[in-house]
Amino acid sequence: MPQLKSIKALEDLRNKLNKDKDPQKPCIALCAGTGCIALGAHKLVETFKKELKQRKLDRKVDLLVTGCHGFCERGVIVVVRPEGIMYQRVQENDVSEIIETTIMKNEIIERLLYEDLSTGEKIIFEKDIPFYKHQQRLVFGNNSRISPVSIEDYIAIGGYTALAKVLSGMDPDEIIEIINKSGLRGRGGGGFPTGRKWQSCRDAEGETKYVIINADEGDPGAYMDRSLLEGNPHSVLEGLIIGAYTIGSHEGYIYVRQEYPLALKHFTIALEQAREYGLLGNNIMGSGFNFDVKVNRGGGAFVCGESTALMASLEGKVGEPRSKHVHTVEKGLRDNPTTLNNVETWANVPLIINNGWEWFTGIGTERSKGTKIFSLVGKVNNSGLVEVPMGVSLRKIIYDIGGGIIGNKPFKAVQTGGPSGGVVPASLLDLPVDFERLTEAGSMMGSGGMIVMDENNCMVDIAKYFVNFLKDESCGKCTSCREGLIQMYEILNDITEGRGREGDIELLEDLSWILDETSLCALGSSASNPVKSSLLYFRDEYETHIRDKKCPAKVCKALITYTIDQEACTGCTLCLRQCPNNAISGEVKKPHQIDQGKCIKCGICFDVCKFNAIIVE
Amino acid sequence: MDKLIIDGIEVDPDPSKSILEVARELGIHIPTLCYHPSLPAHGACRICMVETIWKGRSTLHPACTFPAWEGEVRTNSEMVRKARKILLELMLAEAPDAVEIQELAREYGIEKTRFRIKKEREENRCIQCALCTRFCEEVMHIGAIGFKGRGYRRELTTPFDANSEICSSCGACEFICPTNAIQLSKITDRKPEPLLSEYEAGLMKRSVINIPFAQAIPNKPALSPEYCMHFLNDGCGVCQTVCGPQAISFDQKEEFVEEEIGAIVVATGYDLYPILNFNEYGGGKYKNVLDGLQFERLLSASGPTSGKVLRPSDGKEPKRVVFVSCVGSRDPENHFPYCSKICCMYSAKHAMLYKHAVHNGEAIIFYIDIRSDGKGYEEFVTRAQEEEGVKYIRGKVSRIYENPDSGLTVMGADTLTGQQLEVEADLVVLSMAVVPTHGVSDLIRKLKIQTDAHGFLTEAHPKLRPVETLTGGFFLAGTAQAPRDIPDTVAQASGAAAKVIAMFSGSEIHKEPIIAWVDPDLCSGCQICVPLCPYSAREYDESDNIVIVNEGLCEGCGSCIVACPSGAVQQRNLEDNQIMKMVKVVLD
Repeated sequence: MPQLKSIKALEDLRNKLNKDKDPQKPCIALCAGTGCIALGAHKLVETFKKELKQRKLDRKVDLLVTGCHGFCERGVIVVVRPEGIMYQRVQENDVSEIIETTIMKNEIIERLLYEDLSTGEKIIFEKDIPFYKHQQRLVFGNNSRISPVSIEDYIAIGGYTALAKVLSGMDPDEIIEIINKSGLRGRGGGGFPTGRKWQSCRDAEGETKYVIINADEGDPGAYMDRSLLEGNPHSVLEGLIIGAYTIGSHEGYIYVRQEYPLALKHFTIALEQAREYGLLGNNIMGSGFNFDVKVNRGGGAFVCGESTALMASLEGKVGEPRSKHVHTVEKGLRDNPTTLNNVETWANVPLIINNGWEWFTGIGTERSKGTKIFSLVGKVNNSGLVEVPMGVSLRKIIYDIGGGIIGNKPFKAVQTGGPSGGVVPASLLDLPVDFERLTEAGSMMGSGGMIVMDENNCMVDIAKYFVNFLKDESCGKCTSCREGLIQMYEILNDITEGRGREGDIELLEDLSWILDETSLCALGSSASNPVKSSLLYFRDEYETHIRDKKCPAKVCKALITYTIDQEACTGCTLCLRQCPNNAISGEVKKPHQIDQGKCIKCGICFDVCKFNAIIVE
Repeated sequence: MDKLIIDGIEVDPDPSKSILEVARELGIHIPTLCYHPSLPAHGACRICMVETIWKGRSTLHPACTFPAWEGEVRTNSEMVRKARKILLELMLAEAPDAVEIQELAREYGIEKTRFRIKKEREENRCIQCALCTRFCEEVMHIGAIGFKGRGYRRELTTPFDANSEICSSCGACEFICPTNAIQLSKITDRKPEPLLSEYEAGLMKRSVINIPFAQAIPNKPALSPEYCMHFLNDGCGVCQTVCGPQAISFDQKEEFVEEEIGAIVVATGYDLYPILNFNEYGGGKYKNVLDGLQFERLLSASGPTSGKVLRPSDGKEPKRVVFVSCVGSRDPENHFPYCSKICCMYSAKHAMLYKHAVHNGEAIIFYIDIRSDGKGYEEFVTRAQEEEGVKYIRGKVSRIYENPDSGLTVMGADTLTGQQLEVEADLVVLSMAVVPTHGVSDLIRKLKIQTDAHGFLTEAHPKLRPVETLTGGFFLAGTAQAPRDIPDTVAQASGAAAKVIAMFSGSEIHKEPIIAWVDPDLCSGCQICVPLCPYSAREYDESDNIVIVNEGLCEGCGSCIVACPSGAVQQRNLEDNQIMKMVKVVLD
């Protein structure tokens, strides 16, 4: 492919690509995002290829291997186009049936359709499935439409139009004004206005300026940046190039976790293709603008997602943050002005340039514009990645999109914002999700993690879980975070193991205060959120643990006992056979007993008993 | 412009400085642990937290990294004290053995931490301020230590926990640690070599940068580049950062100064014969065997022990001190034949002063014979013997052994009774021979002054010209010429000074008229005579191709006359034909 030497050359290529494409040609779009790969997507691809070839359909039917579609709960996802029929939980032995029935005979396979959880009705088309219907997939939607390793796919759907628009003579100040007016805010956690960041960096003194993609997504359970890089790397790259042009940078970096091999691979391919097509390098599309990107793999430390720690790591130093009284837009990487934005933030930029700030401000709430991708996990029926406009209520995300709580249990709380976020209780289910409202509720937007909890989750245990993660991931530079978190963990551990004492809550509050007020970086100052928010909404649970030595959610093993209801037990011996520690004894058809000395409180007897004879107290 | 108000004091904001720096300039104390002026502020310990009030909002910021912007700062408010208290409690739990943290905590009214105390290691002193690692890397440019792990598992160590090969054992880490948590021995097996004070005769350490001795002229510190990490490793420079008046300059080098002078008095002094030459006495091997100068420092009120007599091995007061005279002197077979002259008297003085310092102590002097030839000297020795009870034993010491408890056994002979002796001693002082100052030979080669067989400078005439040399304008004073005591040195120096003044008082210099001259008709310009002249009085004249005589320098020694192959050189007023005529007159 010859280099695109002008903006017209890009338009010509796009027209040619779209002209050559027959919109009525059948296409099997197969999700090969990380979730579906784990469920066997690679094998499915091979089988599809083989079977299509056998039937000599390989030229008549397109097989599109895409990035993550988001509905990970139902993987492997296969969408048959142009009709848009969606099959879920597709396995290898379904392949021939899909080809023969749907492709060749145009018939639906009922068995593979999604069944609505409330009505039990089978839904044929992707667009009608509630999980998708209630989303607004601006950033993430293209994942299912293109091959992540094909720049031409991206160009065909309008990719790099925004870059072309920018390079065709837009003034950087004009671009900043658009971004400013759009109200775009950082998607990585802080929510800092992107336009202001760019402006400061553009205004900062210095010959050399850098732009960086922060792809060091470290929150447990969060994978939106990963899926975006895996599924649509060019959209992120396009945003980065626009940002570089705007602030006057000629050197960019992507800091991506080594644990994201596919994201790394796809982004590296994207870079190579962009260079090949003249979208990176010298004189991009004849504009005279030079820019290139280097890939830097991170070692996986959570703290390296913090901007100054990330830059220290890029410089080859230990990934530890430094004081940010002087901002990184003025003195960042190698003391040069640096703009660092999250993957999702960069991916929003081309959309705003293409559609205008007016369009963007039409989405979202007063101060939080656009959409946000959330990683919806936990005790929710439809876990996966969801993209919704800012301001949508938690209820809509959890119930309409997420399909409610598994087993129809009552919703208890949701942890938003990752480990440094906080819990939002059921009373706030109608809270509109945006930066301000979540912060007001004692949590935060963070990078968009959402862990849904039901009545079987102990809030002290949850706080302990997150503090445990944070204490292990604290870099250890400042006293407050290093020592504060280990002490916090010790206290929480004592409480969950029945050694809680009066005054522990006050100690936790003191530690929360010291973390908030005196930590060096934002990871330290937000680390108290799990404890603070759970204390705010579930203080009684803490008190019950400490005073009554009881765990209301029946999670903390040291505080619960398993006994057998002698009246309800039928003596079926199921529990006896399943008990891993042989703690249950009894004769057939006679009530069984649990030896408390032997019981390891694993809960298997409770789960297997069909007569509700196991009592947990 | 809006002001910066620190604890009520209004100053101009200066964002190039930190709040801490401005506060310190104002004399406001803010505690710090991880801060050092020679390093960029780190902001790790958080103990320097201050309350900043901006737009009515109170927040805590570390004073060390927070720029001195406008606004109000409170360095000791309730909020600040609360934060410091909790931080100190956390540090007490982290480093329960750090005495410095305990003291700081006590200042904030904390005796005990409410948090769980770490027990992983035997001793927890480290608060992870990273001063040591930053110092090693950024100041010393070595980087021998760092942290492994992260969070609460973070720990100071060397790469792979192994003995550090690159550690220069400079000891900066130990020095800089605020809680005494570092032991150099755990970093490297290389032993630090202490830099010993020359003035204190090696009895105590000194800094690389120091005032060489009390009342030095000029009374200013000097830096020893041969030991300084700045010169050795292009690092450090801490002295420069901490020196308020900015007086440290690494560019100052030794320089050659040229001066026109009329006379030189050579007063280069003496050295003691090194104690290392006496293996049989354990010189340099046994810590408690000292030379006279070392003992002199041990007695001095401004010395390493502030005048208390304490032996070097264990700092205990020696109960019996043995002095050995004539160590190296009067020993023509092995060392020097001459008498060092001063030892008899200073041994008597040392023994007396020791007895004054340690009343129940015992002083024993081994001597060959007592040479107390000076006014009142004999009486002084008698006083030592009779009033102070110093024991004199006539005889030589053959050997000294060290006992396991660092005591010494002195083996010798009492030549008055003819008995072999074995004396137990806590300390032995050797009266080492007086020898010319080391390095003086270079100087005298330049000055062309003769020396005797031992290197002492030779006077022009032992009786008639004792302070002059054969070269005009060069004079001698003190022990450069021969061992002598202070009164003799002062007398001789006064003589030399008088000679200089006499020389300077006239408008002309009077010289002996007998000097060499060259017959230009006979001189072939072979220049054999030029290097032979001991006074550099001969120069080659290129234009006439002859050698000419500098009459001011020529001393009329006659070397050139003997050497000249063509007989072109003669001594004025003492030419060959004049001598021949004189001979003839005598014969007639």
